[in-house]
Amino acid sequence: MVEIKRYSPVAFKVSPKRVEVRDNWTVVLEYDGEGQGANYLVDLSHITRFDVQSSNLDAIKPFGVTIPQGLCESNLQDGLLINRMNGIQASIFCLSGKKPEMPSESSYTETTEVGMCMAIFGKNVFSITEKLTSLDFMDPAKKTPFLYQGPMSHIPCQIITLSRDGEKCGIIFTASRGYGKDMTHAIMDAGAEFGVKPAGEDKFKSWLGSL
Amino acid sequence: MSLTITCPICGKRNGYEFRFGGEDKGPRPDEDSLTPQRWCEYVHLNECVAGVQKEWWVHKDGCGSWFTIHRDTVMNVEVAKPEADR
Repeated sequence: MVEIKRYSPVAFKVSPKRVEVRDNWTVVLEYDGEGQGANYLVDLSHITRFDVQSSNLDAIKPFGVTIPQGLCESNLQDGLLINRMNGIQASIFCLSGKKPEMPSESSYTETTEVGMCMAIFGKNVFSITEKLTSLDFMDPAKKTPFLYQGPMSHIPCQIITLSRDGEKCGIIFTASRGYGKDMTHAIMDAGAEFGVKPAGEDKFKSWLGSL
Repeated sequence: MSLTITCPICGKRNGYEFRFGGEDKGPRPDEDSLTPQRWCEYVHLNECVAGVQKEWWVHKDGCGSWFTIHRDTVMNVEVAKPEADR
């Protein structure tokens, strides 16, 4: 029997302190020297993601969670993040880390392995993103969580703003898998003046739990 | 940023996020009476209006949707749909 091994397109220049193998991914739970920093960057490329597409999207409730009706609105419930991309399409991120069973309907496509996914959180997140994109994350007309489909560091991304609340500020974004290495480099470089540090999944989960 | 374009999905965005898709030339000519000359004109000839024209754009760095806008080609700004087209 052939053993599958899945590799994240994202790698940091620090050594993992604790890892876990989950669904053939090597998931880093904690990095050396994480400490109590101000801003963190977490690789979430292993979390399960789906696209759902249907001409009658409002009739679909992925894993019991409602798809938002408004364009570019998101819904975070029980660790499941659903983003309305357009009239017929939504993306689903299983942020809890558990892999749900693939729904049998043909409207679902698993997209986990085609992209990279990262989270940046901390009090200076929007100072960092300001160096990477012209998208306005502080637009008062938008209510968190919300989706932007636009360029960050010149790369087309889906960016979901989960919080704009002081220390809890944070975004999650995905882009094509091939950009993983260069996006990491660009974000670490832009975040250097704000002390951004790589962090493992545990740090992400405690931030997500605080929202 | 000189040009902003309003995407029907994402709203008003930086013009650099979009790619121009050409003038809106209306529906394809009827194929029953189509001549090579008429097809060639439809595909290759443009009005090149100095003023407001209807154009196709695609939000290539965003949601990927194709849509039309009206743009003043002299000022290079997006404008509201002219009264005559409503």
